[in-house]
Amino acid sequence: MLVHYIDLSWRSLKRTPLVSFLMILAIAVGIGITMTSLSVYHMMSMDPIPQKSSQLFTLQLNTTDDGTTLWTEDNMPMQLTYKDAMRLHTAETPARKTASMRSGFTVHMNNQELKPFLSEARLTGRDFFPMFDRDFVFGSAWTLEQEQSSSPVVVINEELNDRLFGGENSVGKQVYLDDTAFRVVGVMKQWDIYTKYYDLNNGAFNSPEPMFIPITLVAPMQIASWGNNNGWKYEGISTFEGQLKSETFWLQFWVELSTAAQVRDYRAYLQAYLEEQGKLGRYTRAVPKFNIQNVNEWMEYNNVVSEDNKILVGLSFLFLAVCLANILGLLLGKFLTRAPEIGVRRALGASKRQIFLQHLVEVSLLGFLGGVLGIVVAQLGLWGIRSTSNDYNALATMDVNMLLAAPTIAISACIIAGLYPAWLVCRTQPAIYLKTQ
Amino acid sequence: MLEIKPIFNSLLRSKAGALMLLVQIALTTMIVSNASSIIFDRMEYLSQATGYPEAEIFSFSVMSFDKNLDLTQKFEETETMLRNIPGVKNAALFNAVPVSGSGSATGLGLQPASEGGQDARSAYYMADENALDTLGISLVEGRNIRPDEVIESQTREILPKIVLITKTLADELFPAGDALGQTIYFGDKPLEVIGITAKMMGPWLKDSRPDNVAIIPFVSASIFQKIIVRTEANQRTAIMRQIENLMLEDHNKRVITGLQGMDDEKQNYNAADTLMLRMLIVLIVLLLSVTALGIFGLTVFNINKRTKQIGTRRALGARKSSIISYFLVENVIICLTGTALGSISAILLGQGLLDLYSVPALNSLYIISTVLFIITISILSVLIPANKAANISPSIATRSI
Repeated sequence: MLVHYIDLSWRSLKRTPLVSFLMILAIAVGIGITMTSLSVYHMMSMDPIPQKSSQLFTLQLNTTDDGTTLWTEDNMPMQLTYKDAMRLHTAETPARKTASMRSGFTVHMNNQELKPFLSEARLTGRDFFPMFDRDFVFGSAWTLEQEQSSSPVVVINEELNDRLFGGENSVGKQVYLDDTAFRVVGVMKQWDIYTKYYDLNNGAFNSPEPMFIPITLVAPMQIASWGNNNGWKYEGISTFEGQLKSETFWLQFWVELSTAAQVRDYRAYLQAYLEEQGKLGRYTRAVPKFNIQNVNEWMEYNNVVSEDNKILVGLSFLFLAVCLANILGLLLGKFLTRAPEIGVRRALGASKRQIFLQHLVEVSLLGFLGGVLGIVVAQLGLWGIRSTSNDYNALATMDVNMLLAAPTIAISACIIAGLYPAWLVCRTQPAIYLKTQ
Repeated sequence: MLEIKPIFNSLLRSKAGALMLLVQIALTTMIVSNASSIIFDRMEYLSQATGYPEAEIFSFSVMSFDKNLDLTQKFEETETMLRNIPGVKNAALFNAVPVSGSGSATGLGLQPASEGGQDARSAYYMADENALDTLGISLVEGRNIRPDEVIESQTREILPKIVLITKTLADELFPAGDALGQTIYFGDKPLEVIGITAKMMGPWLKDSRPDNVAIIPFVSASIFQKIIVRTEANQRTAIMRQIENLMLEDHNKRVITGLQGMDDEKQNYNAADTLMLRMLIVLIVLLLSVTALGIFGLTVFNINKRTKQIGTRRALGARKSSIISYFLVENVIICLTGTALGSISAILLGQGLLDLYSVPALNSLYIISTVLFIITISILSVLIPANKAANISPSIATRSI
């Protein structure tokens, strides 16, 4: 029966080619626009590490004086001071945890063959790799001992390994960062993420750094941050030593807490830490304040999905509504002109239900065709976005979910639009039309 | 004469189609007026003047990895080398690049920072006496920095005694207009205002004070050094092409990155806004076309449905013009109701967006022009089918009954 209905629908579409084309075009444009903005929204807001996003937490400690105004909505600093970050990093708390910071170096091999180039680097603890599920192609993370003794060791990603060592197992080999020789201890599997969720300071959609070195090198090598440094009071810092001791916020901190009990314990630990620091007279603050947020909460807090994008998604759905109203109007006209024919079919024994279903199949076919064409329109739109801004290269794409969503939304929308016209037409009284034939 | 009452009655007989058109027009009014308000706001933002001759300026960063190098002396030589390139007007070391989105800002106060008191948020460039010429910015009042006033140092222990500030910053700190010769504080260090410059933008066009800028005559050649070069506009591309080689010939233990013209820099900074602008334009153009097609399609249907009635009316003596005016009036009734409803929902949507996001308040001018535009479009899209209807021959009415 379904095949028969589809056949009937196809004939009906062919009978009024212009109107059918207009309807399909309207759906396609509506779906195309909606899917374009929805795809970007989907990519931006997608959980970057679904298996662990509720176990990875980032910290905000308010170590400012009461009455200090910061630039965040809840008046909490986005990052930590060096002394707090390192104190928590080396603390005897049971969980995996790491302070972390973005920097960069000139990379060279101390020979003439390779032209020196600039590369970003992340300073972290060895816990970073298991925390963020990083696998290694060769070698592994540095050892706890290497971390504690501030050894010049480096983990590089596959891409950098290809560039420096032609993709060979480079564990044990040397590479120069600025003028310091570093030993490669591990080659990390390429990390392709859309959102750089572990550090949202400098562009939420930047790529992860290609190199990782121990955070304990910050002090001995005087490594400055390539990210934001935010001071809130005048401290007259003139040396790197001063920066390390200062109240400037410039490091990120992540901790992995698997159970509610662990979260509770860690909160208690932070509470005690802040109270202790307050007692030492570091800041004047009556009630210690801190935030602990998981990956998705942190992305939400940082407004990773831009306002513009939310507005666009809203406007595109309104646009889709216009297209639906448009189709509904056209369908009404189209179905009603067909009333005489339906009258005859009813007289020959077709039930109301059959007429109703037949028309719903027809609008679903419209929706399906419109949805498929809509994907084409959306691809055009996404191509337009990519060519406007390089930042969107990875974001302005449709994944499988979105590809399936397009015809689904189109068909459901068309069925909604088709319900009323189909209902009207199935109530056709056969008698009237039989009389006038 | 316009026969509004019979038209209205007949509309009530086929409510659904007219209602859909009305909904469509109302939604279109609502979306287009809000979108165009955002569009014009972004266009204004994107076309603002930065104060710089953008087409003449480019910048790049130098990462030096030679630990034994005397950076201060080397960069002296590099500057001279750059200035001697034919076509280069001037070049200077800077701590930050204008409109690049990265730089330094502080609160410049009327009292030392440790005493608190009033201050103004301001970006600052640290550079030597060539700064103004390199940026192509003119002085409004006072004098430029003298070479002997520039401090060259690797630490921040000794700071200069003087500063240049933009007119906007001067007016914020000294509303009386007597900024020249006054003292302002950079942290706890006093600086005398020796010159006031024309408007120029800081590193962030989206800052709360985008054109509060101070130029402090301090040069601290650093491992990661930014350099700005101003050239003849028509030679910029050629000079940019050879800059990396020239810089590496000058010293080979360095890496050149971020070579970019100022106009491109600005475009990068504003990429998201450009994108939003384009998407909104595409959205409203398509929306208006869909609505116009909808009106067109619906009128065609109405006419097909009423072919006999039209024929009968013509046979009974109606003029062609009255057939056209019938459809026009019918459409205008729907359109006026739709746009009226649309205007109300546009205001509501505008209010909602304003509460949630940082969009401009919706000016009623946008609603009015949208309404006029939609009425025009709808009249145009009804005219073609209505004309066709007027040509229906009266004989049709008599033929098939």
